[in-house]
Amino acid sequence: MPCRLALVAFSILAAGASVSRADDTEKITFKFQAYGTLGLVHSSENQADFVGSLLIGHGAGHTHEWSPDVDSRLGAQLTATFGPRISAVVQVVTEQGADGSYTPQMEWANIKVQPTPDFSVRFGRIVLPAFIVSEYRKVGYAVPWVRPPTELYSVIPITTNDGMDASYRVAAGNFSSTIQANYGQANVKFPLGTAKARESWGLTNTIERGAASAHFTYQRTKLSVDTINTLFDAFRQFGPQGVAIAEKFDTDGRPDTFIGVGVAYDVKDWFVNAEWGASNTRSVVGDRRAWYVTGGYRIATVTPYLTYSTIASDPKVSDPGLTVALYPPALAGAIAALNAGLNQSLASKPVQSTISLGMRWDFRKNFDFKLQCAHSRVGRGSRGTLTNTQPGFKTGGSYNLVSAAVDFVF
Amino acid sequence: MRASASVVLSLLACAFLRSSALHADVVAIVSAKSPVIALTQSQIADIFLAKVARFPEGDKAVPLDQPEGSRERDEFYAKVAGKTAAQMKAHWSKIIFTGRGQPPVQAATDTEVRKRVGENPSVIGYIERTMVDASVRVLFSTEAPPR
Repeated sequence: MPCRLALVAFSILAAGASVSRADDTEKITFKFQAYGTLGLVHSSENQADFVGSLLIGHGAGHTHEWSPDVDSRLGAQLTATFGPRISAVVQVVTEQGADGSYTPQMEWANIKVQPTPDFSVRFGRIVLPAFIVSEYRKVGYAVPWVRPPTELYSVIPITTNDGMDASYRVAAGNFSSTIQANYGQANVKFPLGTAKARESWGLTNTIERGAASAHFTYQRTKLSVDTINTLFDAFRQFGPQGVAIAEKFDTDGRPDTFIGVGVAYDVKDWFVNAEWGASNTRSVVGDRRAWYVTGGYRIATVTPYLTYSTIASDPKVSDPGLTVALYPPALAGAIAALNAGLNQSLASKPVQSTISLGMRWDFRKNFDFKLQCAHSRVGRGSRGTLTNTQPGFKTGGSYNLVSAAVDFVF
Repeated sequence: MRASASVVLSLLACAFLRSSALHADVVAIVSAKSPVIALTQSQIADIFLAKVARFPEGDKAVPLDQPEGSRERDEFYAKVAGKTAAQMKAHWSKIIFTGRGQPPVQAATDTEVRKRVGENPSVIGYIERTMVDASVRVLFSTEAPPR
């Protein structure tokens, strides 16, 4: 809905734009720009899929030995500028969705009003600024890796927020500090259902000094996931014990929080980034702690890089569930199924560490080629960040990934 | 003794500058009418990287670029921001694809940059040193960074 609103406002602005002053910096301009990635990933684990993002249907390993569907995407953006104070942006991204199809999705559709060069307000579909590279996590050319470290970036797979944000920048000496506040909601389809984030709000502060920057964020939302709701609605049919279990684990309307801290240093020849994030959900989804550190060194057009990233989850991976003895014997089968559903959800919490070595080669203007090799170790009893696990999958193992990608921007 | 040491040092400095003088000597300029007298390298970099939108005194700063692939542009960003053309492209991709902004407007030649800078005290550009005239003020040179 905010999308449509933004488009309507976009057209109104386009129609009324002829009234703006004819100063040379106040012309109406339209720009069309695009980015994309052609990627290929191989995983040594053939009993599960490596997916990079939890929002895509399938990936490398089980579904395809070599998958082009993990990193490949095309983004197209139209930006309209109506003088120095008002601009609008619409970005459509075509990539693999939750159902495995390549249906174009509206990534951004917003209007920005900028009363002063340091203050702006945006309305429509905007970014959810959880991470350092949230704003351009899909733009391969803009990031050093084939993809942002999966461990941390899977903690909040949602990238967009339908609502508004306000951003204010202050400069003091050599420091520049940008404070951003966001409010909105999101509906996100993932392979096992639909997640709804409601009454989401957050505060973000980015401090920059020359080549160094630091990023702090706090985000809060009320998350509900339809498939989880269905499971616990069934538990609620089972009297006080069922209701108590549902209250403990359901995702309905509970405030979930995320705290993130990141630092980046990027000078002429080398860069180093480190980022840490923690989510607390008070539901069956559980809590996550994840971080990574990455560094690279530029040798002419080639940039080798090394990354270590890790994710841990809260240790609650099983629950006794409903006590079979408290209910009529005829319900035993249903109870066993519900308890299995609950324990399956609890057991899907990721515990994993990955070390990856890669290189970026800027082989021609507006293009890069990346090659990345990674080794992941999965925590005991966990399936890590893998999905589509097959009956032959063994938890707590390790797997290797080889990824290649060509990124471009126009 | 001290005098001869300083002569040797200046000769060495000259030799070093000569060897790096294969590149253009590009200077950052503002209008002669601008109240801005001096900017450091990092202040200029911040304006061209869109990290700040104002001169340190608080007036609006509008950067003006030379065309992609031009010698002036590559030299300017290499010396002022320490970034190659590919790194600058990546930098702007981060800003463009979230709708946060667009790269500076481009002028086709040194002459056009000088004209637009000379006319407008908000504009900051860069040109070959030999193209400087009385309409503009030099803030920074890529050949002899101040201080």
